[in-house]
Amino acid sequence: MMRDTAVGNAMVTKPKQSSELKRRLIKNRALYQMILPGFLFFVIFKYIPMGGLVIALQDYQPYLGILNSPWVGFEHFERLFTEPMFFTILRNTLLLFFMNLLFYFPIPIILALMLNEVRREAFKRIVQTIVYIPHFMSWVIIVSISFVMLSMDRGIINELLVLMGLEKVNFLMSNEWFRPMYVLQIIWREAGWGTIIYLAAMAAIDPGLYEAARIDGANRFRQIWHITLPSIRSVIMVLLILKIGDVLELGFEHIYLLLNSMNREVAEIFDTYVYTAGLRQGQFSYSTAVGFFKSVVGLILVMGANWLSKKAGEEGIY
Amino acid sequence: MAKKKASALLAVFTAFAVLTGCAGNSDGSNSPAAGPNNNTQTATETPAGKKEPVKISIMANLHTPEVPDDTIEKMLEEATNTDLKIQWVPDGSYDEKMNASFATGTLPQATYIKNQTSLAMLRDAIRNDQFWEIGPLLDQYPNLKKLQKEVLANTSVDGKVYALYAERPLSRQGFIYRKDWADKLGLSAPTTTEEFFTMVEKFTTDDPDGNGKDDTIGMTDRSDFVYGAFKTVASWFGTPNNWGMQEGKLMPEFMFPQYMETLQFFKRIHSAGYMNQDFPVTSKTDQQSLLLTGKAGVYVGSMGDVAGLDQKITEVNPDALLDVHHKVSGPNSEYGTWAIPGFGSVVLFPKSAVKSEEELKNVLSFYDQLMSAELMNLITWGIEGKHYTIEDGKVIPSTDTALTDRETKPYLSLQIGGISTIDGMLEAKHILPSKAKAEELIVDNNNYLIHDPAAALDSLTYNQDGARLQEIIKDASYKFMLGNIDEAGFQAAVDQWLKQGGQKIIDEYNASYAAVK
Amino acid sequence: MVQDKTLGSRIFDAVNYSLLVIIALVTFLPFIHVIAGSFTTVGELAQKQFVIIPTVWSLDAYKYIFSTNTIMKSMGVSIGVTIFGTLFSMVLTALMAYGLSRRDLDGRRGIMFMVVFTMLFSGGMIPSFLVVKELGLIDSLAALIVPTAINAFNLIIMRNFFQNLPDGLEESAKMDGCSDWGILLRIVIPLSMPAIATISLFYAVTYWNTYMTAILYLNDAAKWPVQVILRQIVILASGLAADTSGMDDFVRPPEQTVKMAVIVVATVPILLVYPFLQKHFAKGALLGSIKG
Repeated sequence: MMRDTAVGNAMVTKPKQSSELKRRLIKNRALYQMILPGFLFFVIFKYIPMGGLVIALQDYQPYLGILNSPWVGFEHFERLFTEPMFFTILRNTLLLFFMNLLFYFPIPIILALMLNEVRREAFKRIVQTIVYIPHFMSWVIIVSISFVMLSMDRGIINELLVLMGLEKVNFLMSNEWFRPMYVLQIIWREAGWGTIIYLAAMAAIDPGLYEAARIDGANRFRQIWHITLPSIRSVIMVLLILKIGDVLELGFEHIYLLLNSMNREVAEIFDTYVYTAGLRQGQFSYSTAVGFFKSVVGLILVMGANWLSKKAGEEGIY
Repeated sequence: MAKKKASALLAVFTAFAVLTGCAGNSDGSNSPAAGPNNNTQTATETPAGKKEPVKISIMANLHTPEVPDDTIEKMLEEATNTDLKIQWVPDGSYDEKMNASFATGTLPQATYIKNQTSLAMLRDAIRNDQFWEIGPLLDQYPNLKKLQKEVLANTSVDGKVYALYAERPLSRQGFIYRKDWADKLGLSAPTTTEEFFTMVEKFTTDDPDGNGKDDTIGMTDRSDFVYGAFKTVASWFGTPNNWGMQEGKLMPEFMFPQYMETLQFFKRIHSAGYMNQDFPVTSKTDQQSLLLTGKAGVYVGSMGDVAGLDQKITEVNPDALLDVHHKVSGPNSEYGTWAIPGFGSVVLFPKSAVKSEEELKNVLSFYDQLMSAELMNLITWGIEGKHYTIEDGKVIPSTDTALTDRETKPYLSLQIGGISTIDGMLEAKHILPSKAKAEELIVDNNNYLIHDPAAALDSLTYNQDGARLQEIIKDASYKFMLGNIDEAGFQAAVDQWLKQGGQKIIDEYNASYAAVK
Repeated sequence: MVQDKTLGSRIFDAVNYSLLVIIALVTFLPFIHVIAGSFTTVGELAQKQFVIIPTVWSLDAYKYIFSTNTIMKSMGVSIGVTIFGTLFSMVLTALMAYGLSRRDLDGRRGIMFMVVFTMLFSGGMIPSFLVVKELGLIDSLAALIVPTAINAFNLIIMRNFFQNLPDGLEESAKMDGCSDWGILLRIVIPLSMPAIATISLFYAVTYWNTYMTAILYLNDAAKWPVQVILRQIVILASGLAADTSGMDDFVRPPEQTVKMAVIVVATVPILLVYPFLQKHFAKGALLGSIKG
């Protein structure tokens, strides 16, 4: 954005280029007309409310409003960075994010590739519809079903372990099992849903390419590697960049439901922490400050990822 | 050509947008313009000579799946000559909605506050003149003035009364157990904590269901430190209720030796396998399911739960028999039970919606009428003949729970006062003996109450950090009970609590206590 | 399509099909439990933690939820909001995404950055509430649509799809005298059906799941979409709401079977959308539409 504005400013000073710009603006006016309604949407419903972020620098009281609440500078940020749990939370958040990226992110791609190789349309459609169902079940339901299965008291999994002559495992209240449980639940809920974008991208591939490859004697794996994957590369890149921006957004409700006294050391993240430390006690300013910190981290990572992706010859997202 | 088509398309969708907007407002009577701000015009004479109904807007908590049918609302309006506008808000999102409405100045004239904790959050706003003080006015109203002074004091801020309250029994705590199991094993209702321990032990080891399998446990508990088993058992051991006096100073409950004794008691039960191993993550539903399916035999908590549990357990096992009990004494051979401050929800009157004292009086006058026996019976029990019948001067509610769920139960949220403040309020006749007994024991509990001395006190640090600090103690308590840390480990957590702000909370509460005294 | 019949390819298919069947089973079982649970009795559900085929069948849960028209009415609201919302969102999103997909557009990077920025920073609940209030949308169903009309994620995906259309399409169309509007409507949209189907599905699902905005912006319970009621029942029935106001003595939570039945009723309509869109995901859909 910076560069564009700079170029724009430079143009104003040079009459000849300025008229060139004007000509292009007029030529593309239909495109600007198309963008305008959406642009207004973002200004009205996203940028105007963003003014509310200033309460991070205030001691906001709902009854005083933003205009009359006292200013406290960076007090809330200082509180955040000096919280006794700050580094634990940061570590937990980053670890969960990397596990998510490493173990969840590739799954929808693989599943989409598998579905894409299915030739029987009916079979494909049925499987596709089934794997996307879990997306519609709320975390409350998913967590309660998995608690029932993993319980020490009469959970199916532990009963099975006992039948096999093994020790019961305390899945729900241990530091070791929290992260695998979290990632597995995400995979279970979202993998099928995540395939949809990739399948749409694969629908755009010219079948002629596969035919040609087969004539050249390429096996199925080579076809996937050389035709399918390159065709969806740009979608993968875009989703990857957006995912990285979500680094500190790990799903409050999900984690909050899994969190307990026994796994807090590994399960506490910024959102759950803010909920107990702030929101539940009406501390809007502190919550906003923590949110702002998360957003800044996300922004830096997105900008970095976007820059890298452009370096690698991709388009990036802006 | 194409361009025309496109703009036509755009126009169509703009029209859709407008249409949906209109559709939203189509039932004119509910248009937002008729909200709180239109209430300045109060009862005026109409040509017919009858006073025009007073408009009153209310925000209340919805505890049932669906918003109620408006039959009872109509009857209330008729009886009080009001035009009620009740905004129902789902229980799970009540605080969010209330906070958003508060911050945007759109609260209705009468705003229900969910509970004590939510009320404490508003203290600062109350101090800053956001709500009407009603204390001095209450004496003008024949019914409202019967509200108990002590309970009003518990809702007060800096000694001033701002809220009307819904009465709740002070202590419903006790336990529910499988009477048939106890009889089979020759156990009587435990009267001491050691006898209680014996009961959960025998229920686990002596095959109370007689199926020859080792598949039962004694107690079932859930992940709730307060309304689950822990706090009630702590009372048996003589632990104070949140705060207690130690050498003339207010100290938090967990710094008393009785708290540690309770922790050790739970650890004994848990490590021996006499209770559900996962209790720190067990939901209320799963906790009850262990009792209902005959896996567990003791349920510590609200004795009133016996009605629901009994109905369901007979569906699973017709031979099962539940009973309730309350008095269990600890090592000091005294029985005690922790008490709530006497109120459930409260109602506040925001100045942003109630513009003048005259308007406030209109709203209070509505509540005064609502607090009459006639109307309170209406919102509690519904319509005689339809939702209940009377036998021996007591109510027998309709067995059609779907009907009462839809038509009467939600209106309970509007309750003000209760059985001890309203003469002629009907009580339920409990057909189920265990439920009838539970109600008696709840009344008997009033003789053994342990009050929270800090209920009406204030601490700035507690308001800011209290919840987070409480987590430290909660975590350490669970870890101790599960055997992850020892007494020294628990003490370390208490020290951490003190260091991170707990000491300040102690000092502030004591200062606040001294000021009130 | 010609199938290749080499041994390697057959093994590949066998493994692939078996894996997919296993995956489908694993993902489907919990939902079966929910469906089976909704068709059985309270007693059976309490006794067996996991039901696949009920031993006792019962329609009580459905009778209970359909004994008033609340659920049906709220479904009507949800369906209406989903249909109008999706159409409205698709028009705004497609227009903006197409405009931003053209590489020769000045300021496009700036606008895209502005869009991405809103994914990371948001002003929060209260300022948004104020905007909605100022626009007079409180208590109108438009409040469930307009404030969330464009989802930045969907916009970015859509733009990416448009950008990946074969180069030269626009050039040749321009040569034929097409305007930008003409190109979008006659060439780009018909060629982007997989993308349009995908993003429509995303929007439809978002609108179907609308919950928090309904709670915040609608004071009149008659306008609640089905998710508000679903969530209320799930939270009450799961015992998640702490009994801090002491209401539980009077009000009993809904049965587990009712919870399951409401989940089924509130999920099935949106599940039905997908099969209708699936033909657009068929291989070579793009090519087909060019030829057609």
